[in-house]
Amino acid sequence: MALEFDRSIIGQIFDETAFPPVTKEEILAFTTALGEKNPLYTDEAAAAKGPYGGLVAPPTFVTKLRAQKFTPEHLPKFGKMGFDGGRDLEIHAPVRPGDALKMASTIHDIYEKTGRTGSMYFIVIRNEITNQKGEKVAVIDHRIMQR
Amino acid sequence: MARILDMHLHSEASDDSRAPVEAYLKWLARKRDERPLEGLVLTEHRQFNKAGDYRDLEDKYGLLILKASEVETDYGHMLVYGVNDDILNRFDFKNVRLSAQEVISEVARLGGIAMPCHPGRPTIGLIEHYQKRPPLEGVVGVEALNGGSKKGENERVAGLVQAYGYHAFGGSDSHLVSFVGLCATEFDRDIKTIEDLVDTLRAGGYRPLDFRVQRPQTPIAPEVPYHGSGI
Repeated sequence: MALEFDRSIIGQIFDETAFPPVTKEEILAFTTALGEKNPLYTDEAAAAKGPYGGLVAPPTFVTKLRAQKFTPEHLPKFGKMGFDGGRDLEIHAPVRPGDALKMASTIHDIYEKTGRTGSMYFIVIRNEITNQKGEKVAVIDHRIMQR
Repeated sequence: MARILDMHLHSEASDDSRAPVEAYLKWLARKRDERPLEGLVLTEHRQFNKAGDYRDLEDKYGLLILKASEVETDYGHMLVYGVNDDILNRFDFKNVRLSAQEVISEVARLGGIAMPCHPGRPTIGLIEHYQKRPPLEGVVGVEALNGGSKKGENERVAGLVQAYGYHAFGGSDSHLVSFVGLCATEFDRDIKTIEDLVDTLRAGGYRPLDFRVQRPQTPIAPEVPYHGSGI
């Protein structure tokens, strides 16, 4: 018997968050925190001669964005406890100073698997991030594991 | 054409692996002296990657790439080789509570072969279930050497193979690029297609190979000549 839940929740947008425009200072603070030295992300003059024609944020910059609601109000529960099951990040377009980013969140998938310690249930929350031009910037899949 | 295959590995098509197939092939090309594989079988979790087309990669790297599945049953996990439309119509591979007996019997009837993997593993290995319930009918062979097993899990399988006369094969169960080919299977005949593989798995004439580097044990204290009394 396959895992039972209301499948209509899959793919429904449960949160849309708009962020203030990204600033150069924000990018530089992020790179400093990471110890990032790549001039594409840290040096405006050098980055202007690079492939993006200007300063861009490191690819993982989008992971600092937080949706207003991380999970929907009626998140299905399949076990007694849940914890972070990791995340996947897919990069589509660079983030530049001035970009106004938006994040739409959905439940992308729910599935069950079995391992050495028994059954595990995974809820995949997908954050799709776009910029002011409507370009897809990144997709982040967060896995919540329940058991 | 291949005689040494990694029979169990997962690519980025599985939920818990981020290994691209081409990265596996590059790694094998780099490690050819240590892991002389001629092909691999992708066994994605709870699905059959029907869309995956690796013919260009086969040509580029000169390695055979076959596709199979790892499914979850009431007797633990099983590798299903020779997956076809009839098998996919008969079973929902996402169901983690498939009847093992039905999988073994029906997959065989529909042209494939289902073989228990990592049988020595707790909860999802065959041995633990055999201790509680009757043995399955129609099992031809088991994955006696699994590269993802913890200490003691592979060692438990020798008794199972001996007791039931199962054929034994090996696979890396790799989810990470650098683990590919650490455990594999050597066949007595050339494998060119998935049909060859299914026929050979049914008939026998194969054995597990272990390419893991056995690191020498580091003594916890310098060796000192023993001059004791023997007490």
